[in-house]
Parts: sequence; structure tokens; C-alpha cells
Amino acid sequence: MRPHVHLRNVTKRLGGVVAVDDVSLEVPEGNFTTLLGPSGCGKTTTLRMIAGFYHPDAGDIFVRDLRVTDVPAHRRNTAMVFQEYALFPHMTVRENIGYGLRMRGVETAEARRRIETVVTLVGLAGQEDKFPLHLSGGQQQRVALARALVVEPEVLLLDEPLSNLDAKLRVRVRTEIRALQQALGKTTIYVTHDQEEALSISDRIAVMNHGRIVQIGPPREIYYRPADRFVADFVGLANFAPVEIVGPGMVRLGDVTFPVQGSMARGQALLVLRPETIGLTEHVPAGAGRPVLRGRVKTSAFLGTLARYWVDVLGAEWIVDQPAPGDRMFDGDVFLTLAPDRTHVLPDRPADT
Amino acid sequence: MAVIRWAALRRQAGDPGVLVVFLAAAAILAIFVLYPTLRVLIYPTAADYLRIPTESRWIQAARNSLLMMVISTVSATLAGLIFAFAVTRPDVPGRRFFRGVAALPLFAPPFMVAFAYILMFGRQGLITRTMLGMDANIFGWHGLWLVQTVAFFPLAMLIIIGVLEAVNPSLEHAARNLGADEWTVVRTVSLALARPGIAGAMLVVAISVLADFGNAVVIAGSLPLLATEAWFRMEGMADLKGAALVVAMLIVPTTVLFLLERYWVSRRAYVTVTGRGGRIERPPTHPALKWGAFAFCVLMSVMIFLVYFGVVAGAFTTVWGRDWSLTWAHWRLASDRIGTLWTSVKIGALAGVITGVVSVVVAFLTSRALPLRQVLDFFAVLPGALPGVFVGVGFVLAFNRPPLELVGTVWILAIALAFWHLPMGYQAAAARLKQVERSIEEAATNLGASGLRVLLDIYLPLLRAAFAGAFTVSFIRAVTNVSIVVFLVTPGNIVATFAILNMIGNNVWGAAAALTTMLLVITFISVGLAGATVGRAGRSMPMA
Repeated sequence: MRPHVHLRNVTKRLGGVVAVDDVSLEVPEGNFTTLLGPSGCGKTTTLRMIAGFYHPDAGDIFVRDLRVTDVPAHRRNTAMVFQEYALFPHMTVRENIGYGLRMRGVETAEARRRIETVVTLVGLAGQEDKFPLHLSGGQQQRVALARALVVEPEVLLLDEPLSNLDAKLRVRVRTEIRALQQALGKTTIYVTHDQEEALSISDRIAVMNHGRIVQIGPPREIYYRPADRFVADFVGLANFAPVEIVGPGMVRLGDVTFPVQGSMARGQALLVLRPETIGLTEHVPAGAGRPVLRGRVKTSAFLGTLARYWVDVLGAEWIVDQPAPGDRMFDGDVFLTLAPDRTHVLPDRPADT
Repeated sequence: MAVIRWAALRRQAGDPGVLVVFLAAAAILAIFVLYPTLRVLIYPTAADYLRIPTESRWIQAARNSLLMMVISTVSATLAGLIFAFAVTRPDVPGRRFFRGVAALPLFAPPFMVAFAYILMFGRQGLITRTMLGMDANIFGWHGLWLVQTVAFFPLAMLIIIGVLEAVNPSLEHAARNLGADEWTVVRTVSLALARPGIAGAMLVVAISVLADFGNAVVIAGSLPLLATEAWFRMEGMADLKGAALVVAMLIVPTTVLFLLERYWVSRRAYVTVTGRGGRIERPPTHPALKWGAFAFCVLMSVMIFLVYFGVVAGAFTTVWGRDWSLTWAHWRLASDRIGTLWTSVKIGALAGVITGVVSVVVAFLTSRALPLRQVLDFFAVLPGALPGVFVGVGFVLAFNRPPLELVGTVWILAIALAFWHLPMGYQAAAARLKQVERSIEEAATNLGASGLRVLLDIYLPLLRAAFAGAFTVSFIRAVTNVSIVVFLVTPGNIVATFAILNMIGNNVWGAAAALTTMLLVITFISVGLAGATVGRAGRSMPMA
């Protein structure tokens, strides 16, 4: 199937810096793709090129086989939800939502019907005649979403739409956005720097760094099989342990040898261990089959849903998370049980973060 | 190369509509700002310019103008500073009242302070002669000094208030906390941080003093000054070339001051000011400072009160200085010239609309990433460096012949006044535009609005208050203006200020006072209306 949105070798320089460097991306119809990365990685620039606010210096952008690279922003059907919402302060909720329809020359009765539908869809019924200033942050967010959805865009663009909401609301709205997107089957490109948000909301995540897409794949793949040290470090917490590859799929860490997943070449490699995949015990754990290491708790913190330990292991400091902590925290010497099926090996090269 | 530039322009402009507006605005500014300016400067030949040093009267006028600039600027800025300090301290009694009173001279016709002070302190003065029995002569440099101090200190005050208010009170608390006493806090923190603002105020006042025509023509007497000399050349001797040379001399210092203010002082003005943190009360003021400032405010308020009192009293007094009985006679005389008042209002309204529209449109254009936008910006602020008499001479020279023969019409007055007040309206609109987040425009574009639609749907509504402000200030300044008007009035379109000036010159004080009072009423009504309009716009248009 042809991709719905297709970026081919797109490059953009901004103020002498290469903001987006030879990026290619294919988003299938109905897919929710998230561009994830630290600030300055080029994710917003990429989104803005799709919207037409920037003209790429090289490369092309297609929407449904149609080359839109030179189409001005106001002739594209790529409605966007802005980080700061960008609601028109001098227009009511209804006028804000109806603005795109007005620009498209949609007749009044039809426009009214569509506004009504979308207002109900995002739960803003009864607020139509208020000005944006009189709405809460969450409501303003919904107006911005409704204003983008009502024009039935080819592709919906969202630029960090949740960053101005408080933590609890953020989680609620993001599940709503995801549910809405799935119900409407709308092709969506979402930009965020929040890895948890990206993991929870996306069909696919494209992790970006220094203007390039470093890895693209479903959330699970990004989390458990990161392409490199940067992705492993940026998405979630990770411990890195140098290991020696001793056979096909076998690595040696300290004095234990065990099978792992990941790219295999003889020699040195880097093992990625997620903090919550490591078990902690005071005594040698019963039952064999899993690799066990010795360590010593340096310091610990109680975080409510979990207890976090900083443990000295083989001369390095690892982070280990234990869920549902009870009254007692571990202290002193401990045993660490690894989960080989949740660990991942990277070729050992210097950190590129 | 040219082709590439053109393509880039097209893309940046967004759509042809914006490009057309851009070119139209550039053409209008070139015709009504740049062309008259150049006309003045190239009208005299090089030989004429070389003649300047031999014209002893002009050299004398230049020397006097610079001297007045120095003394009036120092006194007006100092008065403005003390006043600004007083009204920004929360514990000075009557601060709101003083602040309101000090703004009054800004709405008065520019000759009004001089006129009122002749009535108060002149040979027939109510205070000097009737009350104190003195034989005072207020005409000359000392009278002008007093008048300019009172007339221009509010300008300094407004600028200095801006910086003093921007000084975060927690800085003053921090200084107290570190062991400084009240006086040291004022000296080392409050005033130190306001220093760029004070410098800026001095430059603005200096330009106003140099360009001051209205007060000078009324009270300077036989003292030659550049601003009035230009008019005497033209009016008395029909010497256009001489007038052009004199105003050309005048814009040398005003341009230097203007450039200093714009590119040097204003760059530094807000560097030290941090707006962070919640607003907290300022620490208490030292009693000596507090009551000293208070006493000064009372004195200046009395001086301002005398301006208004003098004119209104003059309008009802049978013969000023001799017969203090009340009369309506002056009003009958003044109402013979009421037509001039309507001409003023008509010209003011035209000027207001032109200033408002051009300000908003040019501010919109210069906020675009268009090539040459700095040129447009420069044109829009350039009139701020030009004294009214310069603009007056410029418009006479530029539009007294085809293809654009405007002399003799109301349009030449309206256009000259409108473009002279453009910098004020333009800068206010540009500042307002900066507060509008860029993404609001992008959202409109994203939903399908072309560049011109963005202007119509987004920026014009959001700039309504800026438009109303530009209209009002331009209107008030236009109906009260004399410096430009004296060059451009013709018998067919006499305006009120010109009629008043003639009455004062002919010692018809009562009627002059009555007509001035009518002009004031119109001014204050328009201020009130504007306040109500902007207020209503503000309510129906909540801003994030």
C-alpha cells in the first residue's frame, strides 16, 4: 500500500544549522506516528515542513502521491494543533472552530452541522459562545483539536499539544486523543519530547536526534530493542554493561554467561538492561536458569509505585527498580537476577549522545 | 539575481495580495515621507548652503535654539524625574491625582502654556501685575524656559515612569535586606536602573524643545530661534529658500538626537529590568524624600492648573488686566470663527484615519519576513526626527506643483499631519503585534487563510485598540497643531489653531481664549470617546 504521507530525503537548514538532515519517512493511512526526540532534534521542523510553514532545502513531501513540497501552507489540508493552541483570542469557540470551514467556503448550514458534531465529539457542548480566554487549559486544548478535526484534514498534525497541561490532565487527554484518532481512523503525526507519552499513544515512534531519524518502529520495539545507545538512553532509563560475546547469542557478563537478543558480532558489545527487568533479593534466589550477579546497594529512594536503588555492580552503578515496595528497603549486599529475554545487545561503540 | 529575489519575495509574501499592499505602502511612504524630506534638502543649492555661516541672524538663531534646548531639557527632565519618582511610590499621597494632572499639558495646543503664562505672568499678568504689582516682562528666553519646562516635563515623566515601574520591587527589598538605607536604595538601585530611561527622556524632550514652534512664536519675543525663523522667512519675506535652509539646519541636531535615542539609548533601556516574580509592594520611601517629592508635585500641579485656569478665565474676562468683570462678548467673537473649528475637526479626523490605517498596515508588513522591511520601518519612524516646521516646509515645496498639487486643499494638511504622527501610531501597533503569538497566524494559514486574509481576519481585529489609539492621538495632535499648519493653511481652509495664533498676535486675548477653550472641549471629548471605545473593544476582545 502507498504511504499516506511520504517524506523523501528532506533536508532543512535553519539559521546556518542543519535542523533536518536527509529525513525519509512513510506514514501509512490511519497510522499514528510520533516524532520523538530531545529539543533541537528536528522533530518540530519536520512537522512544520509537512504543514508547509517551512520549505525544504532539499527533498520532497508527498501526500497521497501528490507532491506538496511547493504548495503554500494555506492550500494544504494538513490541520495542526499547536503547542500553545494558537486560538484566535477575538473569536468565540464556534468562530474558532468554524474558521477553517469558512476558508474552505463550506456553506453555512453544512458548517453548522459539522461544528456541532465536532463540538460534541470533543465534549465542548455548551461552550460554543465563549471566548478562549474564558476557558480552562484543557478546554482550550479541545477547541484547538476540534478546530483541526472539523476541516477533515488529510493528515492531522499535533505539535506537543499536551505540554501546557498539568500532569494528570495530560494523561487523560492523551488517552482521549488516541481514542478519537482510532475512532476516526485519521492519519496522525504527533511531535513530543515526552517518551512516556510517545510510548502510550503511538502506533509507531520515530526517534530523532541531530536532525535524523535514528530508529523507527512500534513502541515495544523502541523500548526493548533500541537501535543504539542514544535511543536506549532517551526512551526510558537504561543500564549499560559491557559484555563479551562468547558464542552465537551468548554473552559473558562478569562470571556469568547467558543468551540474549540483539545484533551479534564477536568481540565486545554493550548490554542494555531496563531497571524494572532486574530482580533484587537479599539471598541467592531459588530456582536456576536465570543469570545472577552480586551487588551492593549504595543509595535508594522511595517513589511510591516503586523503589529505586542505585547498586554497585561489577564496578559500575546500575539503577534497579522494584515495584510495589513494602515497608523495608534493601540495604548492603544484594543479588541481582537478570531477565535475558528483556535485555538487548548493542554493538559496543562510544556513546553518541 | 533579480529574478531570484523576486521569487523569494513572492514566497515570503505568501500571496500576491500582500505583495501588492507592500508595494503600495512603500510607494505611499516614499511620496509622503521621503519625497518632502528630500525636497527640502535639495531645494537650496550647494552655494546656498555655503552661505549659511555668513547669515549672522541664522547663526544667532541656531545658538539660541541650542541654548534653549540645553536649559529647557535639563529643567523639564529633572521635573519629570521628580514627578515620576513621586507617582511611582505607593506611599506618596495623591499620586494618582498628580499623575492625571501631569498628563494634561499633553492634550493642550502647543502654544497654550505660553498664552496662559502671558495672562498670568506677563505685563498685564493676573499674578505679576494685579496681585504682586510688578512690571514683569515674560517675553524672551526666561519666559520660554519656564513655558517649555512646564509644557514638556510630562513627556519626560511618562518615559521615566515606564522604567521606574519596570524596576522590580524585590530588587529594592534585596538592597534593603543587604543593609542599604532608604536613600541609598533610591540612589543605587531605583534611579541607577532608570538611568537609560532618563537619558531617553532627555533626548525626547530635547527634540521637542528644538522643534517647539507654538510656545516660541507666542512668547519668545524678539529672540531669534530656528523653529520660528523658518516661518518668518516664508510668511514675512516669501523666502522659500531661506525657510528650507533654516529647517535644514534644524534637523541636524534633531536627527542626531533621534538616532541616539533610537539606536543607542532604547537598546539599553530594558536590559537591566527583569519582570520575573510576583508584584510586591515597594519598600517605604524616606519621609524627607516622600514629602519633598509631594511638595514638588503640588507646585507643578499649580503651574499646570494655572495654564487651564488662565485660558478659561481669559475667555470670560472683559479686558484682561484692567476690567475683571465677566462677559460673554469674547464667545460671540469666537463663534464668528467657529468654522475654523469644524475645519480643524475635519482635518483631524482625516489625519486620524490615515495615521491609524497606515500604522496598522505598515506594522503588519514590517512584521513579515519580507525583504526591504527595514526600509519600510525606517520610513515609518523617520518623521519622528523631523520638526513640524520641517514637515511644513517640505509639504509646501513638494506639493505646490503638479503632478501632486495639494496646496490649498484640506488634504495637504490632513496628510502632512497624519504622516508626521505616523511613528507614534506605527510603533504602538508594532509593539502590539509583537504580543500576538506567531502561532496564531500560523493556525489561520494552516486552516486555509491566505496572507491577506490573515491581515483581515486576525491582525486587524487584534489591532483595533492600536488603531483607536493611533487615531485618537493623531486627531488630537492634528487639531491642536500649529507648527505644520502655519505653513499649509490657505484662506480657504483656516484652522482653529491658526485663527487663535492670529488673535493672540493681534492682542485679541479674550476671543483667543474662548476659541482655545472650545478646542480643549473638543479634545477632551475625543479623549473620553476614545477611552470608552477602546474600553469596549477591550471587553469584547479578551486577550491571552
